[in-house]
Amino acid sequence: MRLKTRTIQEINTGSMADIAFLLLIFFLVSTTILQEKGLSLKLSPPPEDQTVAEIHDRNLFKIQINSNNQYLIEDAVRGDLKGLREEVKAFILNKSNDPNLSISPLKATISIKVNRGTHYKYFIEALDEVKEAYYEIYAERVGMSSHDYRQLDLSKATHKLLYEKGKEGVPMNISIAQPD
Amino acid sequence: MRLRKKKKQTAEITTASLPDIVFLLLFFFMVSATIQPKDEQVKYKSPSAQAITSIKQKTLVREIVIGQPKNTDYGVEDVVTVDNRIIQPAQLTQWAMEQKESLPEAYRDQMIIVIKADEYVNMGLIIDVQEELKKANARKVVYRALPETTTL
Repeated sequence: MRLKTRTIQEINTGSMADIAFLLLIFFLVSTTILQEKGLSLKLSPPPEDQTVAEIHDRNLFKIQINSNNQYLIEDAVRGDLKGLREEVKAFILNKSNDPNLSISPLKATISIKVNRGTHYKYFIEALDEVKEAYYEIYAERVGMSSHDYRQLDLSKATHKLLYEKGKEGVPMNISIAQPD
Repeated sequence: MRLRKKKKQTAEITTASLPDIVFLLLFFFMVSATIQPKDEQVKYKSPSAQAITSIKQKTLVREIVIGQPKNTDYGVEDVVTVDNRIIQPAQLTQWAMEQKESLPEAYRDQMIIVIKADEYVNMGLIIDVQEELKKANARKVVYRALPETTTL
């Protein structure tokens, strides 16, 4: 009878796996949250390597922002950016062959010119509108929403194909002009 | 006689608490590792935008933070910081070169510079930073922005 009480107690380690999984999930979630998001842009090459490209006036869509954060879009003063996205889209695609809009999407260039005193926020707002206009064009061509198009994972072949298809022939020509 | 022999059994140390200790350590390291990079020298609030894309290759990312210094000893003018230290915009070319060196050779041209700037930083400073980056041929930039909360 006495021997019975002396059995060694074992601790159940079955829950260890659960704890490990919990940690794993925690790390997974936290790493995705920390992912960097923003507006990507490719800067133009340094001045000495630049090839001087003549851009015809009709192929250039000018957005200027002064130090009071006021917009001058295609030489018209604007208080806000309402409708800019549609204008940019119309300018790039030029479906109606308007002689004042770009010859082809390949040639279309959007120029954003800021003043040294412009606030960053307003520059981002303008850039955002222009980029969104491009993404909407791309997304429309592959029958997706702009949001889904931006989420495409380029490491997957099927996604990359869609991405390339949307982008084909419509390069994102955004130029950040030097302030005077 | 039989009973006495039983008493001679060896005492074992339970290792059941070992995992707990290990996890505690793990947590400690985790927490300290995530807090460290947040200890920034400047105040900034990223602007919000809609057309945002996320960066998949985190190893290629290098950060530049622009904003007002938290410590007023450095003045109230906006400053440029990298790796939590304040540097002059003119030194950025050098810095970008160094950062490129730290990447494997095949990826050097793919380095992504994330510009984290405050909403009310003057564009003059941003332009200066960009000019320096162009000199270092680090031309892929991402302006960090937060997703817009209001949906149309």
